[in-house]
Amino acid sequence: MTAQSLVKLTGITKRFRGVVANSNVDFDLYPGEIHSILGENGAGKTTLMKILSGVHQPDAGTIRVHDQPVRIRSPRDSLKLGIGMVYQHFTLVPNLSVIENLTLGFEDGFFLNLKKARIKLRRISEAYGLFIDPDREIRSLSIRDRQRTEILKVLFRDSDVLVLDEPTSMLSAAEAESLFQTLRALRQAGKAVVLITHNLNEALAASDRVTIMRSGEKAAELSNEALAGLDKKAASEKILTYMFGSIPVSGAGVAAEDVSGDQPVVELKRVEARDSRGRLGLKHISFGIGKGEILGIAAIDGEERRLLAETIAGQQRIASGQLIYRQQDITRKTVAERFNLGISYITDDRINEGCVLDMDLAENTILKSYGQPPFSRWGILNRLKINSFAAGLIKNFEIRAAGPDARVRSLSGGNIQKFILARGLSDSPGLIVCNSPTYGLDAKTVAFIRELLINQSRRGTAVLLLTSDIDELFSVSSHIGILFNGEIVGLMRRTQATTEKIAKLMLGICES
Amino acid sequence: MTDLTSVAKADLKPAILSIFSICCSLIAGGIILLVIGKNPVVYFGLLLARGLGSSLGVTESIIKMAPLLIISAGLLPCFSAGLWNIGAEGQFLVGAMLAGWAAPLLAARLPCPLYLAAVALLGIAGGMAWILLPAMLKARYDINEIITTLMMSWVAISLVTWLVKGPINDLSTVPAQTTLIPLKYRMPMIPCTRIHIGLIIGLAGLIGMHWLIRRTTVGYQFRVMAANKNAARHAGMNIARLTVYSLLISGGLAGLAGVSDVLAIKGLFQGNWNPQYAMAAIPLVFLARLNGWAVIPLAFFFSVLGVGGEFVARELGVPVFFVHVLEGLTLLFFAVSEYFEKKWEHQ
Repeated sequence: MTAQSLVKLTGITKRFRGVVANSNVDFDLYPGEIHSILGENGAGKTTLMKILSGVHQPDAGTIRVHDQPVRIRSPRDSLKLGIGMVYQHFTLVPNLSVIENLTLGFEDGFFLNLKKARIKLRRISEAYGLFIDPDREIRSLSIRDRQRTEILKVLFRDSDVLVLDEPTSMLSAAEAESLFQTLRALRQAGKAVVLITHNLNEALAASDRVTIMRSGEKAAELSNEALAGLDKKAASEKILTYMFGSIPVSGAGVAAEDVSGDQPVVELKRVEARDSRGRLGLKHISFGIGKGEILGIAAIDGEERRLLAETIAGQQRIASGQLIYRQQDITRKTVAERFNLGISYITDDRINEGCVLDMDLAENTILKSYGQPPFSRWGILNRLKINSFAAGLIKNFEIRAAGPDARVRSLSGGNIQKFILARGLSDSPGLIVCNSPTYGLDAKTVAFIRELLINQSRRGTAVLLLTSDIDELFSVSSHIGILFNGEIVGLMRRTQATTEKIAKLMLGICES
Repeated sequence: MTDLTSVAKADLKPAILSIFSICCSLIAGGIILLVIGKNPVVYFGLLLARGLGSSLGVTESIIKMAPLLIISAGLLPCFSAGLWNIGAEGQFLVGAMLAGWAAPLLAARLPCPLYLAAVALLGIAGGMAWILLPAMLKARYDINEIITTLMMSWVAISLVTWLVKGPINDLSTVPAQTTLIPLKYRMPMIPCTRIHIGLIIGLAGLIGMHWLIRRTTVGYQFRVMAANKNAARHAGMNIARLTVYSLLISGGLAGLAGVSDVLAIKGLFQGNWNPQYAMAAIPLVFLARLNGWAVIPLAFFFSVLGVGGEFVARELGVPVFFVHVLEGLTLLFFAVSEYFEKKWEHQ
């Protein structure tokens, strides 16, 4: 690659509330290539691209475009530099036509010059095979055509760089193939394409170069030549070790105690639930967790993890099937009822959902138990009891906070998570559902939290751990399951599992 | 000791901001007066003299506080829940209309305390009914309550005007109005004063709501809902039900304010009568930063403006609406001061 780089990111670091989203990441892009960024959810792919497109400002590092150092303060800046982003969730105005959406924010002068725009659109459409009726309203378009419009919107602004965030997540296989054809046409025309994905097959099939990210860091960069030397199986295995790291399969973790014969604490019987788009996000999920068991369910897709967690905790309606907790059918019970029965749910979205940042710690401790004595009687809160309880949590769980009346906003990410766990574990629940409990935390806090979960299970609590972190899966769980495309595709004892087996199941690579 | 001073500082800061914005609005109002050729010093001098300078003025101002306090009491829980009932005016009118219609009918038939309670409940029910539709639309379909409550106000204005010209019109009088309530069936006075017990209701309501928001589980849920809806959903709070509750409280109290004004002062309901207390109560509650105690002095200040403004209008020829201009300006400056406060906090 002797050509001059189009974009060059060096040493990019970005932190959010104590979570390191990007740590010293380098990334470059040349004209006429498709460069994939591969990594599990939360690995920092999207953050990196949001820095490039001006949505976020890096804490450290430099950005060079056409070998000129630049500062990209807003998406407008990045558009001016010829960098266009196609987000996972579209940003079109649904009740405007395609052509109106394309010209939006791009009007020269006061009057719309749609005629000129039409000519330009036709030229672009013909060049890349992206045909679309310019007068259709966006809301009447299929998902594929909306995405096509998003791409046209970027091209309409004469961008050289096109960044696509998980573009195939909502497309069928055939639609995905036609998208890749378009991307190849763009490459031919000398444009540079960045493909953000967690789908390994897709990254291998479509791209010239793959950058692999893990926990906010760049784990590896593989060029086409490097990959070409390997067959497909060897290539995917190599990438897997980069994505998940090499983990000792036996040893470090605690031995799972066998508590068999008991009735399971919680049991799902052919449970189905719909996701936010109304599709069946969980299909025929059946499993049980016994007393003192930790079932780790690995899923690469964040939305699927969340759906399963909320289905059990009650925020999501169960479309069909049955949920049994301690021999009681709780399929139709509300969140509060399930909480009162002893189901504790630790969300993965600790900042936006697990707490109220602008309230103090004391008020946050009763977020779910405000209706129970001693925190309230006859609907009247007992501030004294709440405060002393909060002070106890702070002390027992080593939460670094000024006191019960400190706002949650003043805490670091790790301490917020400790606090949420402390709250969730405080009244000895029968079942703990926790989603990605250690995501983005430092090693010491990670160890502390894993220890907490293991101790809790030793007291007889059933734990459901949802995670994409294979390391965590092996170091905590007694049983391991894999959720892929809404189905449980594997369920085994930890002793029977190997890293490779789990990773392949997570990514949907069938062994043949 | 340091604790005490820091608490005092925390409490003082919002007060300073509110006072600052009031001063700014008075200055800006003065400039407007200069532009239209009136002497601001004379205007404000007269306004304060009429509203505060005599026992008559002070009493009038205190009487005028009652509807402001009652409406504000209702707005507190609803604003604290992050819901914006902008249509308290309509709920007020429906409550007032019902009181004007029902009071003469019930007065002679029920023992006095029961009669007062019945009219009050009817007014509360009327105000609640008037906000029920916006509340349901918000709870069920997340339709913006700012728009719907405001629209319902316009419907209320037309509805009560029509009712008072037709179905509930007292045909024995020339103007479109309900039957005059005899003096002995009016709302009782606070002993030894000319001030009716609406003031007590308003104060009690205000302090009660202040307490409800901060010390009860319902109020807690309102606050969580306002601060972080996702957290409320995650914790299993019933957001739809909370939305309806908080809006109903606010509609009911606005209706009660209407009852109190008709039963205590007007003695009847007239077609073209619309004192627009809600338009003063909304900025009031904002200025008080949703603190019930702070509403009280601010309500007094707004009343002084209102009472003084009416007198001065006659003497100087400055329209009565000018007081609304001042109220609006206060809110504007309050918004500006809040913006700067946030900016300073970030630095």
